[in-house]
Amino acid sequence: MIYVVTALPYEASPIIKKYGLKRDEACRHFPLYRADNMVLIVSGVGKLASAMATAYLLAQNMKHEEAKEEESLAVINIGVCGAVDQRYPIGTSVLIYKVIDHETGKQYFPDILIQHPFEEGSVETCNQVVRREDVLSSRVELQANLVDMEASGFFQAASRFLAPHQIYIVKVVGDHLDVVDFNGQRVTQCITGALEAMDELLKQVQKVCRVESDVLTPDERLQLGQVKQSLRLTVTQSHQLMDMARRYKLRTGRSLPDLSEFARTEVKVKAEGRKALEKIRRLLLYE
Amino acid sequence: MSKFSHIYIEEGATAYPVTQHVLSRFPRSIRVAIRHYKDVFNRPHQNFRRQKASPKLILAVKQEPFLYPGPEVCEDFGHPNFYYTSPVLNCIYDCDYCYLQGLYPSANIVIFVNIEDFFKAVDRKLESGPLYLCPSYDTDLLALEGIVPYASRWIEFAATRQDLVIELRTKSANYSAIAHLKPAEQVILAWSLSPGEVARRYERLAPPLKTRLTAIKAALQDGWQVRLCFEPLLKVYSWQHVYNEFLDEVFSILPAEKIFDANIGVFRMSKEHFKRISRMRNDTDVFAFPMVCCEGEVVTYEDEKELRDFFYQGLKRYLPEGKIYG
Ligand code: SF4
Repeated sequence: MIYVVTALPYEASPIIKKYGLKRDEACRHFPLYRADNMVLIVSGVGKLASAMATAYLLAQNMKHEEAKEEESLAVINIGVCGAVDQRYPIGTSVLIYKVIDHETGKQYFPDILIQHPFEEGSVETCNQVVRREDVLSSRVELQANLVDMEASGFFQAASRFLAPHQIYIVKVVGDHLDVVDFNGQRVTQCITGALEAMDELLKQVQKVCRVESDVLTPDERLQLGQVKQSLRLTVTQSHQLMDMARRYKLRTGRSLPDLSEFARTEVKVKAEGRKALEKIRRLLLYE
Repeated sequence: MSKFSHIYIEEGATAYPVTQHVLSRFPRSIRVAIRHYKDVFNRPHQNFRRQKASPKLILAVKQEPFLYPGPEVCEDFGHPNFYYTSPVLNCIYDCDYCYLQGLYPSANIVIFVNIEDFFKAVDRKLESGPLYLCPSYDTDLLALEGIVPYASRWIEFAATRQDLVIELRTKSANYSAIAHLKPAEQVILAWSLSPGEVARRYERLAPPLKTRLTAIKAALQDGWQVRLCFEPLLKVYSWQHVYNEFLDEVFSILPAEKIFDANIGVFRMSKEHFKRISRMRNDTDVFAFPMVCCEGEVVTYEDEKELRDFFYQGLKRYLPEGKIYG
């Protein structure tokens, strides 16, 4: 599943169109859009808004335990930014390797482990709109070439849930800090221009962000679950059982032996369960 | 993505010659300025396996302490003053059983560029007596020689110090990178060896046994003191046969009388560490043999003693007892 966070509806609309996302009317807190393998949230402007929306999106939707085998999990913040340096033409899309929070000075680093079609760079997230004259007069001192208002909030929230290689930030240069009138259409145009590259990125992301599949098949996990229940195993014993089962498969390369006999045994006292577990242990470790 | 596509550089590390050397080796890598290496290295939830597929370099300045007392579980070869030091963290090889994968939060490779400060710390330590030091414990320095010439720097340094003995442990076959140096009696080149099949199966990216043996043979011919480390001995199917053949192969190539010494160590790990790693690695069977937890919360094979004794007897056919440790 790919989760997408944008600040503005203008940034979201080309993505919604390209991936055929549908509005989720059940969500009353944020504009939320879905397709089978993508969920997009529109956070509103600012790092706090971005952090809240990101946390909401991931907490509500990401259920690790239920993740289908081989499913990919990643979250992407895509949006426009300003560039200090004129060497970035309008429409340049940049994959971010470093986020600097202008107010706290903290730095954050996504892991970039994939080939991708973007330029790379760092972005500085500021609470206020930064103007060119602020930078030229040193009223605002920037460390990065790109400026936005969301990335640091987004990254902090996302990294509570995911590994740094599952978090991506794509910024498209929308201006050179010289915008007088906000123009939504221009924003939409910028994002539209980046979509082809984004599609390429998503393919790579899907590959590298696969959830590690378990050596145990769903059927085997089901049977082990029944064994745990009928033998009334404690939490520690349950862990031991799963551990032994996985190691059996790794060592022998075969599927688990039939444990249905144990799944049917209804034990009355804990000691019986312990005994049965010992039997399973011999079966799994010494074959 | 290519290895070392990104190099993270601590602000304070930029001016060091080692930094410039490493950067010159990777002119196309993206350079990312960082404040402290831990900002990258210690991030939460990093995925060691994924990072291993595309490791990055981190160049940093090490702060005190530089030397650490040798851990109990490691062989001290009879040296009372046994220390180790880590001028580099992590390794370019990818052995399934590597203890580093649970030790650090990241698979990225940290190179501490202030090597002179390490040397100064050794000199200070030497003032209080002889020192036995391992600078290639949390990494493989010889394997990294093409990126950062620390194996040769340590050899050159040790050669000028009385009372210092260093062990450079490696699985590399990169002997040619240091072959121009004069063998020094303060230096022991220690090669870790495993049967060909074990190396193929569990020591990803490390050179095959035969290549390692060729490198060792050249080192012996040049007059280096060579230690053979048979560690970790791993339980594999028909291990008696596998390890017997292995010893025959090793000593059909290496002249036994020239070997400085050897050590044996059956696979073992602290219980907590074992738990962490085996959970992380469901793609290998190296942790899947029946283990027991013995004294000191250490996990090893149930029949560890049998494996060790068997190998010891085999090795005794080639080396005198006095040269076998562990
Ligand atoms: S060579 Fe040693 S340090 Fe390197 S991966 Fe293998 S076990 Fe780990």
